[in-house]
Amino acid sequence: MLRNTADSWGAPAKLFHWLMAALILAQIALGLMAAGWRVSPAKLELFFWHKSTGTLILALVALRLLWRLANPTPLLPPGMAAWERAAARLSHLLLYALMIALPVTGWIVNSASNVPFRIFWLIPLPAIVAPDEPTADLAAGVHGGLAALLALVLVAHIAAALRHHFVKRNTVLTRMLPWRTS
Amino acid sequence: MDPAGSKLEFIATFEKTAAPGEFREFDARLRFDPDKPAGSRLDVTVKVTSADMNVADVNKEIRGKDWFDYAAFPRAEFRSTELRRIEGNRYVARGTLLLKGVKQLVEVPFSWTPSAGGAVMEGEVTVKRGAFAIGTGEWAESDVIGADVKVKFKVKLRKAG
Repeated sequence: MLRNTADSWGAPAKLFHWLMAALILAQIALGLMAAGWRVSPAKLELFFWHKSTGTLILALVALRLLWRLANPTPLLPPGMAAWERAAARLSHLLLYALMIALPVTGWIVNSASNVPFRIFWLIPLPAIVAPDEPTADLAAGVHGGLAALLALVLVAHIAAALRHHFVKRNTVLTRMLPWRTS
Repeated sequence: MDPAGSKLEFIATFEKTAAPGEFREFDARLRFDPDKPAGSRLDVTVKVTSADMNVADVNKEIRGKDWFDYAAFPRAEFRSTELRRIEGNRYVARGTLLLKGVKQLVEVPFSWTPSAGGAVMEGEVTVKRGAFAIGTGEWAESDVIGADVKVKFKVKLRKAG
């Protein structure tokens, strides 16, 4: 099934979810390693992959949001408390916001520091701000802070999914699994 | 030489993408007769420490021993041994490039455009950074920072005396 329904995710939505989950985890690892590595060809290589992956994530999240808006969103299971519903909405909203804000702040860092860069060696990344060291430092600080926030929201997201499955025993987790058809 | 109308660029590559830089201070002296280039002479002196690669962190790195080593080799020089015409207004200067203590024979093609009170020389030549020990140790590998560096120049000359 391609399209979402009121209680199931279609294949494209699942693909977006798991593909981006894998990319985001890889991206966090690449970012931490790149930032911490001593200056060396390896550090530049790590940044190259981090930037390329980040641009890919930004493109994917745009498509994912279009797909989400063009489809029904499966309903939350009945019997959830108001705070739980609010927490679910807020965390999902934050995840989408961060999937956009992290690549964009990274892009600002790259533009402001004036480093020449082609996405996966192919497409030159245009500058979105003028070269300026204080801007680069500020954007890098914001980027790091947002990454820490993302890590927290991801932990909450995964914990909530496990709680739905093992404690509340509903289908919230299983309906996102790739091998379940509905 | 008229510094305002002159530019000496070097274009390295980073992950197969051009990473341009510039030596902001250099001087070129030329004794040249376009019709009789045989007796000509070109001397270029470059203040290596004026290199600017447009990225603050990169500018800090290139000062170091692995790259230009500003402390030991603040200047580079090109001295021609022979100038000859290829065709029309195109010439080639053969000579020695002294950079980071390494002397190498290079051939620099250029065009010659006379203007009021002087002339403009323009050209480019690709050199291997490894030949001059620019980027040593782990940087010698060329996967991330390419082996070839394109040197591009535009020199505006005023007739002396």
